[in-house]
Amino acid sequence: MIAVIGLVLGVLAGLVVQPVLPSLMEPYLPIAVVAALDAVFGGLRAMLDGIFNDKVFVVSFLSNVVVAALIVFLGDKLGVGSQLSTGVVVVLGIRIFSNAAAIRRHVFRA
Amino acid sequence: MWPPRFSRAQVIVAVLLFVLGLGLAIQVRSTSEGGPLRGARQEDLVRILDELDDRTARLQDEKQRLEGQRRELENSSDQAEEARRQTKQKERELGVLAGTVGAEGPGIRITIQDPSRAVDADMLLDAIQELRAAGAEAIEINDVRIVASTYLEGSRKVRIDGHPVSAPYRFSVIGEAKDLEPALNIPGGVVQTLEREQATVRVTPSEKITVDALRSAKQPDYAQSSE
Repeated sequence: MIAVIGLVLGVLAGLVVQPVLPSLMEPYLPIAVVAALDAVFGGLRAMLDGIFNDKVFVVSFLSNVVVAALIVFLGDKLGVGSQLSTGVVVVLGIRIFSNAAAIRRHVFRA
Repeated sequence: MWPPRFSRAQVIVAVLLFVLGLGLAIQVRSTSEGGPLRGARQEDLVRILDELDDRTARLQDEKQRLEGQRRELENSSDQAEEARRQTKQKERELGVLAGTVGAEGPGIRITIQDPSRAVDADMLLDAIQELRAAGAEAIEINDVRIVASTYLEGSRKVRIDGHPVSAPYRFSVIGEAKDLEPALNIPGGVVQTLEREQATVRVTPSEKITVDALRSAKQPDYAQSSE
């Protein structure tokens, strides 16, 4: 419950304060957000499976974000930034879908 | 799940989700608010910049071309203006010669009194010829302009171009006074010939002679310019 409150607070803070991101970080933010979403869906599924571990969640969240940003950074340096970030988004999207399917099975038993 | 348990794990998860929400909000806002270039990748930006450079170069070329054209047009209009000015000047000069415009300048006045009515057209013509030879530029006798086609006739009743003129004959002559006066006064010249006929001639130089008798320009019927 407190996690949901944290999410809502974050969105509100972003909308109200309107922080300006340093332009150096700008290209990594969308990928990092998608990676974090993947971690969150994974955590949700684990919670429903009853195997949720806060340590695993924290590590997977952070590593997802860092790896995603790293891949985009590397892609930019290699000149294939747009293709690589597309690839990352596709992979993370597939994972989010499969996690969402598992969550659905738990919630609706179908 | 309610009331929330403030365990360490819960708080950490909440903090991470807070960060996620923050990132989501920032990204959504910058995507929806920023210009179309905000989310563009580096190579796209380079391409767009190249296109803009190309466009700038093209427009620069265009500008140069148009400026050249403008310069050309200005030059040609200057030339046309100059030609018009010269034509105007020429017209005025020719107008003085043809008697279609008034003229003024330094010159002399000649008054010929003729009590015995002995002066005839030949003598006036002699006087005109002498004046022309001395460089007279515009001549008027009793309000009749003397031009290239002027003719004099009659022995006792003089007519100039068909206009009867009678004594006293008043000449207004524009030209160099110190050339015109001696030309009339040379021995055996105009003045002496007239005085032999009992006419009195008075010549007065003047700084400002006005010749304002006009003739209408006549379109030649037969003579065409051969140029």
